[in-house]
Amino acid sequence: MKSGFRITVLVLLTLLSPACSEQACYDDTDPLVNVILLESGTGAAKESDSLKITGLSGASPVELVTAKAVTKFSVPLNPAAETAEIVIQLNGIADTATITYTNFIHLVSPECGYTIYSVIQGLNTTHNIIDSLIIENKNITVDGERNMRLFY
Amino acid sequence: MAKGICVFSISLLLFTGIRAAAQDTVTVPLNFRAGFDIAGPVLQALDRDLVSYGAVAAIDLNENFAAVGGIRYSSFSASEYSYDFRSRGLTFVVGADKNFIKPKMMAGKHYAGIGLRYGLTFYGQEAPRLEYTNPWGTGASSMPLSRHAGHFLELTPGVRTELFPGVTIGWNLYLRLLLGAGTGDHLKPVYLPGFGDGSSGVATGAAYYVSISIPYKKIRVFIKPKPVPDEQEGDDVTIPVTNTGRSGTGSRL
Repeated sequence: MKSGFRITVLVLLTLLSPACSEQACYDDTDPLVNVILLESGTGAAKESDSLKITGLSGASPVELVTAKAVTKFSVPLNPAAETAEIVIQLNGIADTATITYTNFIHLVSPECGYTIYSVIQGLNTTHNIIDSLIIENKNITVDGERNMRLFY
Repeated sequence: MAKGICVFSISLLLFTGIRAAAQDTVTVPLNFRAGFDIAGPVLQALDRDLVSYGAVAAIDLNENFAAVGGIRYSSFSASEYSYDFRSRGLTFVVGADKNFIKPKMMAGKHYAGIGLRYGLTFYGQEAPRLEYTNPWGTGASSMPLSRHAGHFLELTPGVRTELFPGVTIGWNLYLRLLLGAGTGDHLKPVYLPGFGDGSSGVATGAAYYVSISIPYKKIRVFIKPKPVPDEQEGDDVTIPVTNTGRSGTGSRL
């Protein structure tokens, strides 16, 4: 009888424990466009001397990336729009890429809430330093997969 | 020769079976049970976001197995920093319980075993507020009320005993495996009624049932006696009784 009571108490504690605990978010919630920098002609990875990515949104530009000596970069898309205009300044020379996309909601977890995934619909770029910008994977998620190849 | 050995073996089994029937039987009442989960209201007192009322009915098929059916109403709401979410639904489960207690000990009153259930849940979910922020700013959206059907498997070990004549109490742990939430990969419910966290494929927990128990039939079960060593010196052969079973005609109460 005593052991039965103990087991009952243990079960009740098991039941009640989730109600008392507040879980933290440990998952990645930021979908990013992952881009690799490649050399035109050879297709080999080519390191930039300097890289600056700026998003043009509304009244003020948004600084997304500032880096030196990189062969890849990742930028988020604007979750409140379906077009993102991005200035890519490679080794001091700027090009503008315009990405059109559609958004949809994705549940990450109850702790982290929802995020917004995108599917790229179109891509245009100027060609001051960029030779070509090619879509490799149009799904923008938190998986970390490569989405674009930038030849310059 | 082989045919002769076979006939002898079968004759031996029949003989030992008859001997066991004559010597070792126990009468086990088969019950119908109906009860409700008291863990749901207890949890609701602590966490007002979750309402969960469950009822279960079971009927003993024999001394080992019982058929089980249940129904559960669940309602959940959450308001987090980046979203508001609501879901509610009705869940039906069907399955069977296997009692591991020997018939002589359980006497139709005690249970320690494991159950396997299939659950089907009909539910609606909505998220009136969804927000996501990144360096560009904040994207706000919402998910209107949508209705879905999800299903899952449930493995549920547990114990039960008779509190008073006709009243049993018992608890079950459960391990639920989500087969499908009915929403696709992206809009799995924060809380799937009758299951738990819909973003995870597995849910665990416990339920505590109080049930009324009504006997509807008695069966006679042959039990396996302990093998008795032969007392004759130099002859170690024993004939273990291997036949267990029930009488075919149960006596109704």
